Amino acid sequence: MKQRLVILDGVRTPFCKINTRLGSVPVDELGRQALSALLVRTGIDPGTLDEVIFGCVAQPAEATNPARVIALRSGVPQHVPAMTVQRNCASGFEALTTAQERMLAGRGSLFVVGGVESMSHVPLLLGHEMGEKLHALSRASTPLKKMAALSHFRPADLQPRAGLRLGLTDPVSGLNMGQTAELLARELDITREEQDAYALRSHQRAVAAREKLAQEITPVYLREGEEAGGVVTEDHGPRHGQSLEALAALTPAFEPPLGSVTAGNSSQISDGAVALLVATEERAATLGLEPLGRLADYAYVGCDPARMGLGPLSAIAALAKRGYDPAGAAQIEINEAFAAQVLAVVRQLPGLDGVDDPRLNPLGGAIALGHPVGATGARLVLSSLLELRRTGGKNALLSLCVGGGQGAALWVEGKEAL
Amino acid sequence: MNALIQRTTLEGGIALLTLDRPDHLANTLDEATLLALEVELESLAAEEGLRGLILTSAKPAIFVAGADFSFFRTLDSERLARYLALGQRVFNLLAALKLPSVAAIHGACVGGGYELTLACDYRIATPERVTRIGLPETQLGIIPAWGGSTRLPRLVGVPTALEVILKGKRYPAREALRLGLIDELAPRPWLLKAAQRVLRGDRELAPLVKRHELFFQRPVNLAVASTMGGRTKAEVARRTRGHYPAQAKAVELIMEGAGEKDLEPSLQRERVALLHLASGEEVPHLFGAFLLQEKARKLAREEAGEPIRSAAVIGAGVMGAGIAQRLSARGVEVFLYDLDVERVASGMKRIGQLYRKAVERHLMDEREARDGLDRIHPAPGRSGEAALRRVDLVIEAAVEKLEIKREIFRQLDRQTGPQVVLATNTSALPVHLMAEATGRPQKVIGLHFFNPVHSMPLVEVVLPEAVDAATRARAFAVVNQLGKLPLVVADRPGFLVNRLLLPYLLEAAAAFDGGSDVVEIDEAMLRFGMPMGPLRLVDEVGLDVALEVARTLENAFPQRFAIPAFLEAMEREAWNGKKSGAGFYRYDAKREPAPHREIERLRGKGPVVLAEQLEARMLYRMIDEAAFALEERVVASAAEVDFGMMMGAGFPPFRGGLLRYADSLGIARIVQEMEALGMTPGEPLYRRAAENQPFHHENETGA
Repeated sequence: MKQRLVILDGVRTPFCKINTRLGSVPVDELGRQALSALLVRTGIDPGTLDEVIFGCVAQPAEATNPARVIALRSGVPQHVPAMTVQRNCASGFEALTTAQERMLAGRGSLFVVGGVESMSHVPLLLGHEMGEKLHALSRASTPLKKMAALSHFRPADLQPRAGLRLGLTDPVSGLNMGQTAELLARELDITREEQDAYALRSHQRAVAAREKLAQEITPVYLREGEEAGGVVTEDHGPRHGQSLEALAALTPAFEPPLGSVTAGNSSQISDGAVALLVATEERAATLGLEPLGRLADYAYVGCDPARMGLGPLSAIAALAKRGYDPAGAAQIEINEAFAAQVLAVVRQLPGLDGVDDPRLNPLGGAIALGHPVGATGARLVLSSLLELRRTGGKNALLSLCVGGGQGAALWVEGKEAL
Repeated sequence: MNALIQRTTLEGGIALLTLDRPDHLANTLDEATLLALEVELESLAAEEGLRGLILTSAKPAIFVAGADFSFFRTLDSERLARYLALGQRVFNLLAALKLPSVAAIHGACVGGGYELTLACDYRIATPERVTRIGLPETQLGIIPAWGGSTRLPRLVGVPTALEVILKGKRYPAREALRLGLIDELAPRPWLLKAAQRVLRGDRELAPLVKRHELFFQRPVNLAVASTMGGRTKAEVARRTRGHYPAQAKAVELIMEGAGEKDLEPSLQRERVALLHLASGEEVPHLFGAFLLQEKARKLAREEAGEPIRSAAVIGAGVMGAGIAQRLSARGVEVFLYDLDVERVASGMKRIGQLYRKAVERHLMDEREARDGLDRIHPAPGRSGEAALRRVDLVIEAAVEKLEIKREIFRQLDRQTGPQVVLATNTSALPVHLMAEATGRPQKVIGLHFFNPVHSMPLVEVVLPEAVDAATRARAFAVVNQLGKLPLVVADRPGFLVNRLLLPYLLEAAAAFDGGSDVVEIDEAMLRFGMPMGPLRLVDEVGLDVALEVARTLENAFPQRFAIPAFLEAMEREAWNGKKSGAGFYRYDAKREPAPHREIERLRGKGPVVLAEQLEARMLYRMIDEAAFALEERVVASAAEVDFGMMMGAGFPPFRGGLLRYADSLGIARIVQEMEALGMTPGEPLYRRAAENQPFHHENETGA
């Protein structure tokens, strides 16, 4: 790639477990607070943006293009377009790489990209049959026809289906995400103990990195709910006193009683938002902002939906073919959807010295910090670039497994490499 | 065709009368308009084949602003009587039309304008911000006398009519609908269509049309009036302390007329009551106050430059949050700065509460409140330095310490573009000393807002000598944009309002020091007509805040602003007033504030003040200081002193203003009495007395 997208600045909200402190904050409000803070930090005139692109998996019915709602509510003027992208867990990457492609196509040089997810706001759904029956009722013109239409309703029609559960189930293989992790654990003999030990590592690193993580966080000022008027300033996920005993005490969440994947060694289901300001190198030079780094290259590769957790391997291999060898990365992020899945990747990834390799997820990962699916990719970009700035490292390899059977990998370069 | 009123006929035999006074932004019901309307109505009454009448206005922001005020300001009571009778006659004609009539309201519809729509059968209004509906007559010392006091109770019932007429508020359309003042809302593009639909009878309107003739309303009103009449009168007498006779009169009229079958006796009583009220001295005083407000509004409008789009507010305390809320509600993008997240968060919390209250009071809907909140961008710590480059204006509302403010201005000068206007919300400190800390003194001004920002109409505008024309225009643009009233004051310590208020408060404190009782002191001024007693006011403002201002003034004028030692002792005990739970009174969520007895032990040995001298002492101190302020040209005229003290300090408008009151007593008498009370009048007041020079000149217009 000749022209490269420069990441100028970024900020994220705290990540909080589903239905906790950010539970009252809808998707567009969460994204707005991140974007508002980005505009405050950078001081750029939002009217000069070419587009606003946010990743979001569960795009809410009341804001079906959340990026547009976020942009307008943040004070971005009407003439700036906005779109929402969806590649499941890689949606936050997708926002960035979409901007890269826009730039290469000569369609814009300054973008806000990011990711946002309120897993607390994924709705409960009524079935399609219920919809058909309600429709029939609304069309019934006489009392008699109305009675007849009503007689078709069954109590079962009112049974809501959790949108979240549906969203986390792969419709092709029929397995939910946890089951795909169980499959990898069984096939590769990854024990419960290994998984719990890895989960503990994630918490310990995240807790140790608290001050570093604070540099990427902007507070969320709460408007609604019991805590209205309050402010959320910290990630909710990392547990100070996390222990192997506590992790071992959890029952398997997906395949009880004999499975090994638990709530403790899986990523937390969370709410959060990330916003990044990105530009061409040329445009960046005119803005007077010091870049954090740039996007060097990326790859998305499909894989077996039932083994989606191995996705990073194929994506990283594809990047290696393009000249970005993992052995040369100063930092390697493998998103922690499940400990079993990370361990499966680690075992097979050339150039990585097992889970003890200090380059692997140095600030902890989604098991401790949480995984607001649409936002995580953008968090990895922000977090790794800030870490490269602190360590002086040249580059980072960022990867994600993607529900539905894909892998995604980005190669980013820190300030040192520019 | 008549120039004042256009008559057209719409499809289906519906007559449309459009009020459109040529060359004016507003329609008023002056004599000519009323006569023109009479002609139109008479011809309509005679016409065959019509199915209905729609009354509307062609003005973008005003339906009908009300009556012609000049009548109330002449002393010719016969002319006024004729004018009153004319209005009633024309409105009766409208009400008696066989044709059903609908008022299609967009824009201000107040006073006589709303009484006109009360004579219609049905009222539809647009939900837009410019649409305001109400009967503000009692605020001017008069009563609705074109049928408002008679027809409204029949339309909405006695309790609501009392609320509307006694409070005299101008309600947003949604609130007016809730109260029953109007019957329907329709967006502006659909306003006439909605009125036509009502008249064509496409919908079931029978129960709505002629709602004031509902069979049960009269007996209900009769019953309500007989049960709540006495209590309401007593309540009004207690609240107004007899200072606002129009209030008592309105209650009387409503109670008497609400249950009568015939309208005429009540209309007759309206006329008599108004003529009686108009002969009293409150009416010219209240109209004078009204005109001063209009003058200030006009000044802001005419001097305003381009409106601002974005602003930074430095300091998220009570004032900063209040200013940020108002700015954001008026469409300005606001960056809210303070030292840390906690301070910014507490400001955001306060702003959220202000918006919630505005929604509860129907001043805006949920979406408007959300949009307003969205316009505020929190900028805690150093996170927002870069955004300062983007703003059109900065308003500093940090702590009242000159050195801190100067440091903030030094930094702002570096961090903002060279054309950006820097304003301070200081309540007493010299603005030029902050300007000196920057390299752009021509861009540094004072915009002194009062607490609470959302409800206090006044802004003292300080334009030090160095200020350039563009900056001056920007200052007025902001005031105008915020819907506030400007008072241009010189860059002198305490400006006008605090400069005059502080001697009054210190005199109240001195009286307490000398042994007067807290309630006795406050009661003296409540009786005079102040909305709140001086010691209670100190508690509301916060003793610490008041002392900060007092110290600035004491530094500037040591002879006149001595601070009694016990006040500083109170401050040391952190008895700062309401916010700390105790000051001159004790505050408790469950009880009415009661005198705080513990402070009595802090009393020194001030001179004893007799109860009957309290009022005079406190007022004379203010008047004496006003003489100094005028001599120093803090404001340009006595009228501006009166305006500032009414709008900024709650000086009772029915008194005509501080200096009009002083003139009515006579300066010589004030000087004499001050000496008799052992007070020392200042040189300027002495001189005025000696030269027989009242504050207001005879030839002055205005009030």
